[in-house]
Amino acid sequence: MVENNRTYIRKKIVVVFFLCAFVLVGLFGRLFYLMVWRTDYYSQLATQLHERERSIKAARGRIIDRNGTVIADNRTVCTVSVIHNQIEDPEAIIKLLTEELGLTEEYVRKRVEKYSSIERIKSNVDKEIGDRIREADLAGVKVDEDYKRYYPYDDLASKVLGFTGSDNQGIIGLEVIYEEYLAGKSGTILTVTDARGVEVDEAGESRIEPIDGSDLHISMDMNIQSYATQLAYQAMETKEAESVSIIVMNPQNGEILAMVNTPEFDLNHPYELPVEEPAEGGEAASGEENGESATADVAELTGEELQNALNKMWRNGCINDTYEPGSTFKVITAAAGLESGAVSKSSSFYCPGYVMVEDRRIRCHKTTGHGSEDFVHATMNSCNPAFVTVGLSVGRDAFYDYFKQFGLLTKTGVDLPGEAGTIMHKKENIEAVELATMSFGQSFQISPIQLVTTISSIVNGGNRVTPHFGVEVTDKDGNLVETLQYPVTTGIVSEETSATMREILEMVVSEGGGKNAAIEGVAIGGKTATSETLPRGRGVYIASFVGFAPADNPQVIAIAIINHPKGQYYGGVIAAPIVRQLFENILPYLGIMDYNEE
Amino acid sequence: MAGKAKRKGQSEYFFDYSLLLIILFLLGFGLVMIFSTSSYEAAQDYGRSTFFLEKQLFASILGLIAMIVVANIPYHFWAKFAGLAYAVAAVLILLIIPFGKEANGAKRWLIVAGISLQPAEVAKLAMILCLAVLVSKMGKGIRKAKGFFMVLMVPVPIVLMVWRITSNMSSAIIIMGIAILMLFVASPDYKKFVVMALLVIAVAAVGIYAIVNLADTSGLDFRGERILAWLDPEAYADGKGFQTLQALYAIGSGGIWGKGLGQSMQKLGFIPEAQNDMIFSIICEELGLFGAISIILMFLMLIWRLMVIANNAPDLFGALLVVGVLGHIAIQVILNIAVVTNTIPNTGISLPFISYGGSSVMFLLVEMGMVLNVAKRIQLKEM
Repeated sequence: MVENNRTYIRKKIVVVFFLCAFVLVGLFGRLFYLMVWRTDYYSQLATQLHERERSIKAARGRIIDRNGTVIADNRTVCTVSVIHNQIEDPEAIIKLLTEELGLTEEYVRKRVEKYSSIERIKSNVDKEIGDRIREADLAGVKVDEDYKRYYPYDDLASKVLGFTGSDNQGIIGLEVIYEEYLAGKSGTILTVTDARGVEVDEAGESRIEPIDGSDLHISMDMNIQSYATQLAYQAMETKEAESVSIIVMNPQNGEILAMVNTPEFDLNHPYELPVEEPAEGGEAASGEENGESATADVAELTGEELQNALNKMWRNGCINDTYEPGSTFKVITAAAGLESGAVSKSSSFYCPGYVMVEDRRIRCHKTTGHGSEDFVHATMNSCNPAFVTVGLSVGRDAFYDYFKQFGLLTKTGVDLPGEAGTIMHKKENIEAVELATMSFGQSFQISPIQLVTTISSIVNGGNRVTPHFGVEVTDKDGNLVETLQYPVTTGIVSEETSATMREILEMVVSEGGGKNAAIEGVAIGGKTATSETLPRGRGVYIASFVGFAPADNPQVIAIAIINHPKGQYYGGVIAAPIVRQLFENILPYLGIMDYNEE
Repeated sequence: MAGKAKRKGQSEYFFDYSLLLIILFLLGFGLVMIFSTSSYEAAQDYGRSTFFLEKQLFASILGLIAMIVVANIPYHFWAKFAGLAYAVAAVLILLIIPFGKEANGAKRWLIVAGISLQPAEVAKLAMILCLAVLVSKMGKGIRKAKGFFMVLMVPVPIVLMVWRITSNMSSAIIIMGIAILMLFVASPDYKKFVVMALLVIAVAAVGIYAIVNLADTSGLDFRGERILAWLDPEAYADGKGFQTLQALYAIGSGGIWGKGLGQSMQKLGFIPEAQNDMIFSIICEELGLFGAISIILMFLMLIWRLMVIANNAPDLFGALLVVGVLGHIAIQVILNIAVVTNTIPNTGISLPFISYGGSSVMFLLVEMGMVLNVAKRIQLKEM
């Protein structure tokens, strides 16, 4: 071995060592960066990876009527899941769950055999069934309790209250509008799991408790709602009508006491369509070829058809639909006429049974004519020619402005979803004929709630109130959380006009077309309407009546609308009695009248 | 220095107890970490938490016996088997084609008498032996271009076979790295190596630049994608970046002092087979920066002991043998830690003495046996 050989080799070995040391020091630096500088970042990401969240449902707030009756409540139900890794006897589990839950074996098998940390089999299982499954004590089956919405009155006020979906969120009605109050805040259970999703026992768990939803107190009175619903069903059956709507409201503050839209649906089974008789109704009659096929279709609805059918069933006609109000709208024309000074109570009219507007001949419902009459009697007679004259003398621009001033062009702001807006002519398209037809409530469409709200503001002294259900929100123990406020627009009409209107409308009931609504012992104001649906000439009508009591200081206003009645269809004949029966019962109940006082 | 204390002793020859202690410490520490890392998954998959520990313990004991035997055989004895070793390594690699056992999508193992053997490990040892013999016989020939390139070319066939046949690029790199390191030590030249290093860096840089700027990444093979995953593991969290990202979670969540031995979360299946190449990330998570640096220092001490022995070896053959082993360990330690910390693109390299793997630990211990024998031949007065 040559000595100078050794020298450079030794040197090189030392170089190699220091090279290694140098690189390792670089790696020290890298580790320092990762483990000191970036430790928060990576720890957080790692924690997110290791922690599993299980949510704890918050109990949804209840809905309570004005008397303290609970009308939307919670019931304990169970959610059944399987945890793949803990399953010991899959066949036994499949058998048990198939039997108890009424599911197909194929469905259950697929979920039991699926490789996932936790697989939900079925939610909203009755507590009894859940308890039975838990008692079977099969490893890997998990039964969690949670809450399900429960409506003790089944179908009462169904379209108002609405219902909730599988995750307890509101789907329609008040349940949607007041979601933020009712829903509460879910809590969570944080557990630490391994990569397979199996909880690591030693790591323990941390809980964030759920915050229960608040209770909603509404202005609805279930006694009135219940009675109004009976009346509506009665009218629907006797008149073979398609549907009947009733709204009962306090015209002074807009609190709605009842809102009925028959047919209602069962809130506890909102996805079950009513068992339909073979389709023969108005629509089917027009189709020639769908005699037998129509019945077969009911059973085999496609997804979209089913959804449409459900939407139709859930639809709140008082809010979501518009119609031509017909003669009830004369209240508004009259108020506009009085406000503008175009007419007074004593203005005189002559009705020959028709009125000519440009080249159009508009007939009165009394073809022989009302003859000579003053404005009060024209209203009592619901005389079309007289109201056409009023409308024309108010004039297009002023009439449109009153329409707007009364709030008819804006929505009422009712606390229910999907309020329909007014369908109205454009101002520049209103010619004499349009103006004439508008004067007696035709050629435009408004929603029932809009009509009731507008008439309320005309008879209550000129205050346009916001119709509403929600009154206040309290916590579970009844402590006030929030009092709900609604805007009121004052000065819609003058106090004087309002007083005159109350007087005239009382006359309509006491002596005029609305006398079927009269009750002995209390003065009632009101107006009838009979409108033919579009296209005209099919003999399909909407009969309605709006009434309020007491006439001189209205505390309650009610509208009854009968859609597509068979046989007698005059509002004064078939709708006015509904309001009368309603008032006969609820006025004493509300303390507005006392039979014993007379 | 252990050697100094012994200088006045009776024994004329030297036994490197420091080296032995370091080896035993790393082995013991490795077993503890393998148990900590694999027990949860082993209990899940094999029904007993000591599954991997038992296998590694068995291999370690066999390896220690082999080490003691080899330590007592004069290292010159092995010189005559250099050619044979080369041939055996080549044949073993070729045997993989018909008889190889596949695991994780790669054929790298041969089953011999129930023990799985990685021919790449044999090749590393064979290459160290071959080159040591070649260079020491060449004498001054190494200074000539012919000798230089001969040493450079001898490992190439084996390297190519390891790379192509066992699709084990990391082992190929290690073998080539060992060879170049031995050549570096043997050759008096520096310039050639600096040029070589610069060339490798330039090629790598251009390659990375090309891959990053490739508009259409769909045509890339898995290595190209590995480069992209290296640069941004979070963007490839579901694919090639998964293991790296999981390792970074483990390292990052360790902090300065770690979560404590046995407390790793990432070993619960988040890092697949964490006891293999990624074991260092679990060391970081459980023992923190403190533990990680302690282990790196332990390896640095091991390398330092090897340097001391190589520098004092009685002849060039012995010195080169030790340099080869030094290179083997240093390269693997550096590359493993660099991979785990995402300093370089992900490639499977085990951490010597600590990662789970029977053939790896056995061959490392055989190499240590040779080193110990070289150390024994050092005459104390030469120190």
